[in-house]
Amino acid sequence: MNKAEKAEREILAIDGMSKGDSAVHRMSPLSKLLLTIVYIVITVSFNKYDITGIFIMILFPVVGYVASGVPVSTAFWKLRIVLPLVCAVGIINPFLDREILFYLGNIGVSGGVVSFITLLMKGVFSLLASFLLVSTTPVEEICRALRQVHFPKILTSLFLLTFRYVHVLLEEVSIMTDAYHLRSPGQKGIHISAWGSFLGQLILRSSDRAGQLYDSMLLRGFQGEFYYAKGRKSAAYSWPVAIICIALAVTFRFLNIAAIFGGVII
Amino acid sequence: MHMADALLSPAVAGVMIGASAVAAGVSIVKLRKEEKTELEPTIKKLPTMAVMAALVFAGQMINYTIPGTGSSGHLCGGMMLTGLLGPYAGFLSMIVVLLIQCLFFADGGLMAIGANVWNMAFYGCFIGYFLIYRPIMRSGWFRGMGLRGANRLKIIISSILGCVITLQLGAFSVVLETSISGITNLPFGAFVALMQPIHLAIGLVEGLITAAVLMFVYEMRPELLKDVQTDETVKGRASIKGTLISLAVVALLVGGGLSLLASSHPDGLEWSLFGNREEGYAENMGLDEDDYGIASDMADSAAAVQDKTSFLPDYAFAGDSENPAGTTVSGIVGCAIVAAVAALLCLVAGFFRKRKRINEQG
Amino acid sequence: MIRFENVSYTYPGADEVLHDISFSIERGEKVGLIGANGAGKTTILKAALGLIQTTGTITVGGLPMSRENLSEIRKKLGYVLQNSDNQMFMPTVIEDMIFGSVNYGMSRDDAEKKADEVLKDLNIEYLKKRQNHRMSGGEKRLAAIATVLTMEPEALLMDEPSSALDPKNRRNLINLLKRLWDKSRITYVITTHDLDLVLDTCERVIILNNGRIAADGPAEVILRDQALLEANDLELPFCFAGR
Repeated sequence: MNKAEKAEREILAIDGMSKGDSAVHRMSPLSKLLLTIVYIVITVSFNKYDITGIFIMILFPVVGYVASGVPVSTAFWKLRIVLPLVCAVGIINPFLDREILFYLGNIGVSGGVVSFITLLMKGVFSLLASFLLVSTTPVEEICRALRQVHFPKILTSLFLLTFRYVHVLLEEVSIMTDAYHLRSPGQKGIHISAWGSFLGQLILRSSDRAGQLYDSMLLRGFQGEFYYAKGRKSAAYSWPVAIICIALAVTFRFLNIAAIFGGVII
Repeated sequence: MHMADALLSPAVAGVMIGASAVAAGVSIVKLRKEEKTELEPTIKKLPTMAVMAALVFAGQMINYTIPGTGSSGHLCGGMMLTGLLGPYAGFLSMIVVLLIQCLFFADGGLMAIGANVWNMAFYGCFIGYFLIYRPIMRSGWFRGMGLRGANRLKIIISSILGCVITLQLGAFSVVLETSISGITNLPFGAFVALMQPIHLAIGLVEGLITAAVLMFVYEMRPELLKDVQTDETVKGRASIKGTLISLAVVALLVGGGLSLLASSHPDGLEWSLFGNREEGYAENMGLDEDDYGIASDMADSAAAVQDKTSFLPDYAFAGDSENPAGTTVSGIVGCAIVAAVAALLCLVAGFFRKRKRINEQG
Repeated sequence: MIRFENVSYTYPGADEVLHDISFSIERGEKVGLIGANGAGKTTILKAALGLIQTTGTITVGGLPMSRENLSEIRKKLGYVLQNSDNQMFMPTVIEDMIFGSVNYGMSRDDAEKKADEVLKDLNIEYLKKRQNHRMSGGEKRLAAIATVLTMEPEALLMDEPSSALDPKNRRNLINLLKRLWDKSRITYVITTHDLDLVLDTCERVIILNNGRIAADGPAEVILRDQALLEANDLELPFCFAGR
């Protein structure tokens, strides 16, 4: 399978999941969008040494994935892109920041190690959250939510139109790549002699396609407005749940609940 | 050079979202204005923008073999979109490409979208177009070579210069944003020293691919390219002088960044660490087959200084920084409880799901 | 219904693709427009829809082609593109179906009701909520025809409707056209290389060759005329070729 085809499969998989049905799927798109953004902002804003404080934030994605039935494994597969990057930024910290913050038994844990782990958590948690959003909310719904908060129409229309043609063009690139490699055994990529023409040909064809697309819009009386069918009715609990979650997240941000509970038990 | 949410503090992310939003707003307004003067309505541009954005996205999945290296590079496409759509439409299309990457491929992050748009789309489309592509394409350079020859050379030069310079600016912004966010302990200067050379190589490859593609389009359908001179009389507004001035401005911007690097002298330990790491980068150069290779190198390099150069303190809510509460025993016990609760949740859910399935079958 | 008088057209920077074309298609006629690649078939359809500006006169449903009449004319003609992907740009089938009607002033609910009727007529209710990128080639073609029919056109213009269809879907298409005609005597014009399809669905055939009309007459006669077909770079339909 070539890269374009893999990409197409990944999109289709998420797209398919987003059409599922669960308590999370039924929440209103706008409430989910807001909750996700607030969650990410709060998670990322934790102090870099506040390892126990941030840990409790894991409960939100856990509940979300459990309630939605979205396989966490898929989300972790996505981590392969973000994690190396975050690791790389953080890995230097243990070397540079060696002040011991606390002891676990006899082993001193340095500030660098703590901040590295916190950074990893931030990376993982924020990805889990945004992945949960797209895998429980179809893109059209996300765009509708964005329109509700007066996101410019041209961008949402462009997004949906692009999303529609991403499938078509990924398929074309995939076919072209296969066709190229069938005639050039042993080559890893496109040879320099075809650098321009490979994508160039696709540009020419795409430009024709855009022309036809425009014709087809014109013929159906397009005047700059897209009409999208109404989505399913969102559950009544959407906003209460979202607001409770946000309140909880804010509480967790200011009160180290984990430490308090731990203290009570000890 | 997609940045993840974790690499930014909310304050920096917010500022970048604001800046990108302003640029997007200007683009929308300008497109509407063009609609009035060009008689080509925005709704006619919409299909072209969408198809080209989809094309750039799909085009990123193509591997290009780099002669003599055995590795391969790929395209990001900002400069190419600019050449095909112009700065405003190109910018909006790039935003959409970045959004799809962020939502479906976890390349970037929801909160970091502003920074990513700025680092990749803003520089590629606006700086790339107004300071590099347009002045060069409209200039009277290479007049002696005939119209076609001159246009070809101008396309090559503007593509390569455009990609290199805009990627340098983007890479520098990544360093700046991560450093201001106070994410790592890496010194600013060392970080810059890492990022810029890597992205010089990436920019060169991107520039060559862009040049090849735009040249092909020029040969086949020159009318698809912006600002291509179609007749012998050069009536472009920009002169060589203008071009040189704009190039000088860009050079100053880049140079300013580099001089910042020179002024901060990392100490021995840091340098030794970097010496080793740098080799790895050079080897990788972000040009390896996996397209995320670039991101990961960049990530590597995205290790930045925390204390020495941070302009803003670690973004934190009040009363937070003095006592990192997590360092106490009770904190650790608490975490264990949280972990247990999380595990329990998963178990219970698994149990109920299994029972539901059994019920459905029965 | 559709009338061309001395219509010529030249693509910018290219040779003339339509030379002095004149013909007239009456209401309820079933016309096959055939010709080799590059003969100008699609260009004729585009001219009828006012997508390109030609010389000569074109009238559709009694309305002369002009800026003011454009939207009225386009409402009368339903154009099914050769590539369904280019026609279906909305996320789902139903959204594509109501797109045109709503733009032409129908309320959303009415448009959806109309769309339901059409889907039922075509026996493809199961495609209603389907996403456009998750359909097979045959399903896409049927859905594309449905989007056009929702606008209640007086004539259908179809560009290569049987291309990329498997035999079963091709058969479906033929039956569909027959049913449509029996039901409402809808005018349709098909451009195609698939002469067997023309034989099955059309009564009249116009042969185009290099932008000129080479022949115009009953399908049964023209499609049996081997010499005429070969002179225009075409071949006998398989069912007559005796293979």
